[in-house]
Amino acid sequence: MAGDRYHAALVYPFLLVRRYLTSRVIPLIAVAAVGLCVALVITVVSVMSGFLEMVRTSGRTLWGDVIVTRQLQGIPDYESLIAEILKQPEAEAAAPVVETYGVLRMPYPFGEEKSVNPVQVWAIDPVRFAAVTGFDRTIWWKPPATDAAARAMRPDDLRLVLPPDLEERTKRMVGVNGRPGAILGIHVSIGNKREGDGSYRAIGDWWMPNHEVTLSVAPVSGRGRSIGDMRDLVMPVVNEFSSGVFQVDKQRIMIPLEEGQRLLRLNEQPIYDRNAVPGPDGSLPRIGTAPARATHLFVRAKPGFDSRELKRAVEFAYDLLYAQQQQLPKSERHLPERDMVTINAWEEQLAELIGPVEREREMMRILFSIIYLVCAGLVLSIFWAIVAEKTRDIGILRAVGAGRGGVLSIFLQYGVVIGAVGSAAGVGLAYLFVSNINAVHTLISHPVPNWVVVIVAALAALALAGAVWSGFRDTILWTLIWYVVAIALAGIATGLALHKGTVIWDPRVYYFTRIPSSVDWWTAGITVIGAVVFSVLGASVPAARAADIDPVRALRYE
Amino acid sequence: MSSTSTRRDARGAAPPTSSLLLEACDVSRTYQLGKVSVPVLKGASLRVMRGEWVAVLGSSGSGKSTLMHLLGALDRPDAGGGRILIGTSDLAKFSGRARDRYRRDQVGFVFQFYHLLPELSVLENTMLPARVGRGPFKWWSIRGEVRARATALLKDFGLDHRLRHRPRELSGGECQRVAMARALVNNPALLLADEPTGNLDARTGGEILDLLAARHRAGLTMVMVTHDVNVAARADRVVRLVDGRVALE
Repeated sequence: MAGDRYHAALVYPFLLVRRYLTSRVIPLIAVAAVGLCVALVITVVSVMSGFLEMVRTSGRTLWGDVIVTRQLQGIPDYESLIAEILKQPEAEAAAPVVETYGVLRMPYPFGEEKSVNPVQVWAIDPVRFAAVTGFDRTIWWKPPATDAAARAMRPDDLRLVLPPDLEERTKRMVGVNGRPGAILGIHVSIGNKREGDGSYRAIGDWWMPNHEVTLSVAPVSGRGRSIGDMRDLVMPVVNEFSSGVFQVDKQRIMIPLEEGQRLLRLNEQPIYDRNAVPGPDGSLPRIGTAPARATHLFVRAKPGFDSRELKRAVEFAYDLLYAQQQQLPKSERHLPERDMVTINAWEEQLAELIGPVEREREMMRILFSIIYLVCAGLVLSIFWAIVAEKTRDIGILRAVGAGRGGVLSIFLQYGVVIGAVGSAAGVGLAYLFVSNINAVHTLISHPVPNWVVVIVAALAALALAGAVWSGFRDTILWTLIWYVVAIALAGIATGLALHKGTVIWDPRVYYFTRIPSSVDWWTAGITVIGAVVFSVLGASVPAARAADIDPVRALRYE
Repeated sequence: MSSTSTRRDARGAAPPTSSLLLEACDVSRTYQLGKVSVPVLKGASLRVMRGEWVAVLGSSGSGKSTLMHLLGALDRPDAGGGRILIGTSDLAKFSGRARDRYRRDQVGFVFQFYHLLPELSVLENTMLPARVGRGPFKWWSIRGEVRARATALLKDFGLDHRLRHRPRELSGGECQRVAMARALVNNPALLLADEPTGNLDARTGGEILDLLAARHRAGLTMVMVTHDVNVAARADRVVRLVDGRVALE
């Protein structure tokens, strides 16, 4: 008959599944098990995916889409190259950067001995650099953009009482005294203390924009030899920036491009005729000017173009300019062959970091697929018990005309429902946890308040009293349950009392100051499908066993 | 067996009629308990006429319930162990699906221990046989009619105030009346009752028998298994099972 042939569509299994699910505790245990498994997978993979996404986003924010690099010697005539690049339809903005490393002498502590930090120095043109990277958005000490933002800040937040000219000076990278200044990463100075809400507070008088720092760099030639002595540059601190990437905020400082070029001797230099006879004052005749150089060009793609398309456009622009310069006299040919520079999309620049993390994430996905087996095993064992318990019901159903297919479909549908409900609960749990993961982390990174410990201990004492009371009433089950609850609560109270705060997400290890807090919905979808499929697989064995039960034996089952 | 005509006949006002409804011919059934073979029925034969109430009397272990399971297609005779004829068809040779359909449409079971599903209400238990084998569209088209029939049966059995109750909230007699309503909801041609009063006190058992007798008077064919001579005496005909065979008819 058709009903038996298409037993999956029968109405009575649906009714029974609904009733079995809502009237018993055992299936809720299966739902909870599936839910916890799903939540665990989604949470772990979401944090890893979020980390990868943050790396990618920050990489693009820090560098733009394409990076042209020539370390040490620098790229000469970079302004002509920028002009050529900006002619390409794929390019929106480009900025020169001089990168070097140096030593930064901090203004603290008081006295002669000052703290010294090794730093990465980026010499930038702030306007063009901001157009490529959005650097202006990372500037920390700036007034709140809206009244609502101002109200959200703590009353003692220094951003509410900034000097009125600070924003304008920051754009020009000029200190209070009118001299070129530096913008430091927010963690370069130990005078900045990060608060629980993510804001910063200056410790004591050590608000950096009120102080000066001394930068020392050693100019190095293209062959890696030092050119002269270390050069010192005393600079006012104009502002500080927070990129969100801890390593950057801890090590990087920004200085004006011209200052960087001057320090490293990458600025415009006269070319003298060394074969000529020196003049009366001993000088050689000047035959030209070597253009200023930059170690990097950062290029941003126009909307609609990706980094690989832009990379090809930049390569084309470079080749074109190079070919044009080959037509000029030798003294005017500045651009080196393309082999001498590196042109990378930002993904390639980050490949060494992204690659291992991506592989690690895939490995975690594979390892966590074992959880599906755990799901299937749990459902199988729970359903095995349910089938044993429901043996007589199966006999009754067979007696009123249910076929084996119908009985099979009851437990398969049951598996689907357990998997679906458990998965939905798991997704909800994971969403709640991942969305609030930073708050949870902040909570566990601090000692627990004493009143919480006292309350938990009081609950443990109440549970103990309940156990004693149940003991007097001669109910072994409730005595046991209360003892278990009392012991668990006492353990929790002890753990909380001993807990002095644990920082799990250390920005020095994980680059970022905040834990990624968005759910990877793609992973969530795959996990849900996997959990439902494996729940059904787990249910299939007990379901087949139920279908095979002899109705006569089932009706006699005690 | 022609179910339509049988039901129409069974609802007639003058039972019993003389036509044959079912015949078990020389039926044998042996159970395998581990390595031991236990023959329960050893060639039992029984004829059941339309509208007849037959009581199968026997001591414990005589094979009464086994015979009932065979008549209701819950079990099959041994290979070569006789035939159970419905008209000219041998029930033992029905396919699994045909046997399911036979149990759903032609037979109603009443058990000693009621065998109600504890998660379902009284009304849902009663409607269960009508749900079985139906897809959603078919069920939606007949649901109202089935509900009305189930409600009417429960009202006849004095349970119209218990429709939403669960079996655990009912007395033994009430549970057995629900089981009877469930057995009758599909208008079966044959009611098979296995010790229907065996788990009830004398007064409640008597009430149940009164209800069965009323149904019988309305034309229902019944085979009732019992070990109680007084209960069997209410039937039209009593057959005795002794040592796996019908000893007296």
